[in-house]
Amino acid sequence: MASRELTFRILRYNPETPDVKPHLQDFHLNEEPGMTLFIVLNRLREEQDPSLRFDFVCRASICGSCGMLINGKPNLACKTLTKALPDVTTLMPLPVFKLLGDLSVDTGVWFRDVSLRTESWVHTDEVFDPDAAEEKMDNELAKEIYEAERCIECGCCIGGCATANIKPSFIGAAGINRVARFMMDPRDKRTEQEYFEVVASEDGVFGCVGLMACDDNCPVGVPLRSQLAYVRRKMAVAGWHMGRGR
Amino acid sequence: MELQKVITPSPRSDLIVEGIQMISGLLLVLFLWVHMLFIASVWLGATSFNALANFMSRYGLVWITVAFLVVVIGSHVGAVVRRIPKQFREQRIVWRHAKLIRHMDTWSWIFQSITGAALLALAIIHVVVVTYGGISAKISSTRVFNHFLIFYIVLLLLAEYHASVGLYRIFVKWGWVSQHRLHRVLGVITVLTVGIGAVSLYVLYTLGAHFA
Ligand code: SF4
Ligand code: SF4
Ligand code: FES
Repeated sequence: MASRELTFRILRYNPETPDVKPHLQDFHLNEEPGMTLFIVLNRLREEQDPSLRFDFVCRASICGSCGMLINGKPNLACKTLTKALPDVTTLMPLPVFKLLGDLSVDTGVWFRDVSLRTESWVHTDEVFDPDAAEEKMDNELAKEIYEAERCIECGCCIGGCATANIKPSFIGAAGINRVARFMMDPRDKRTEQEYFEVVASEDGVFGCVGLMACDDNCPVGVPLRSQLAYVRRKMAVAGWHMGRGR
Repeated sequence: MELQKVITPSPRSDLIVEGIQMISGLLLVLFLWVHMLFIASVWLGATSFNALANFMSRYGLVWITVAFLVVVIGSHVGAVVRRIPKQFREQRIVWRHAKLIRHMDTWSWIFQSITGAALLALAIIHVVVVTYGGISAKISSTRVFNHFLIFYIVLLLLAEYHASVGLYRIFVKWGWVSQHRLHRVLGVITVLTVGIGAVSLYVLYTLGAHFA
């Protein structure tokens, strides 16, 4: 059986040569069995254009560095099989993040900033005793926390979010999910008021308009919809308590 | 925290605005449904429609309704405008974004602001016409027959669309029911209310033809 000829329409842009306007460039390649976009892009760079920029590290949906818009839909390139793609595929970098060139964006700075702003670490006064036996955590709770921790910071939920696209200060579903993780954790001693300060604003959960592009697009299936609702409900209760002066 | 946040009186303002948007929205949906039921009284004939209309004007209920609408629509509009991209640049980004990512729910957000703005205009016309023109089987049906049929069809469809998308959004955001069930329930309710409204319009139209 003759293999399909695939066309990839890729956004080309180099911030160092700003006078070359961003444009779509067509590349052609014959499809092979089991081909992923990871293979496609590497072959294109090796065989056709060494200047093509994109990111991959793990090529196994673990590192989160290959998020991009594949025919408009945010997804990981390394887990996308060409079998699932039409003959012509458009590839664009994720919006919101700093564009480093072509398909390569800097998600690291964005996520680090959100981690700092949401203070993503366990807040406790307890002094760590290395000799003490480890405290046990309820298995169900541990599993729930693990669900939130599965986020690989690929940025798909951020690039796909209309709010994040117009509001740079919005922490997005990944940020809110991160806060949910610490809210669930009994070792974090933050009060609900302290959490309220962190997420209960237009930059946090009350900035979200509930379009669920995040939930629909998370490539590893973090339950973002229920995480957003969880934080939203918690913060409404906290707000209610604050209103009653408690 | 930064100074500007420390000295802003209420840290809860975003929550409160969100609450106002939701509660006023829910009230308007409720109003819409009751409204459709009241109109449906015309199914039973001109007499029952008139009886209801008389009852409403005798006890000043028409004006109470108008006052209710002014307050509730006013707060709803006040609360939601913060979500509509104001700057031209932002508008362009949102449109491009919706086109780029091809995500149905993102489009529905854009439609929600467009239908919302259209509804505001249509609702004001509707309220003014009805309160000054009066309500009775004869007046209302002649109105539908003569000029307003298209107006009411548009108003009915827009209101139902806006209401069900808004309801859907609320339930999804707060995570009260599963998305799947929600689709079905809202679908049924929307078809039902549009159906009731359409039948009422049909009855009014034939009644209007009869009077003419
Ligand atoms: S929540 Fe999902 S989509 Fe968002 S950054 Fe994490 S893994 Fe990516
Ligand atoms: S649900 Fe909220 S966070 Fe998710 S894409 Fe929509 S606005 Fe963004
Ligand atoms: S390369 Fe690591 S997630 Fe795709």
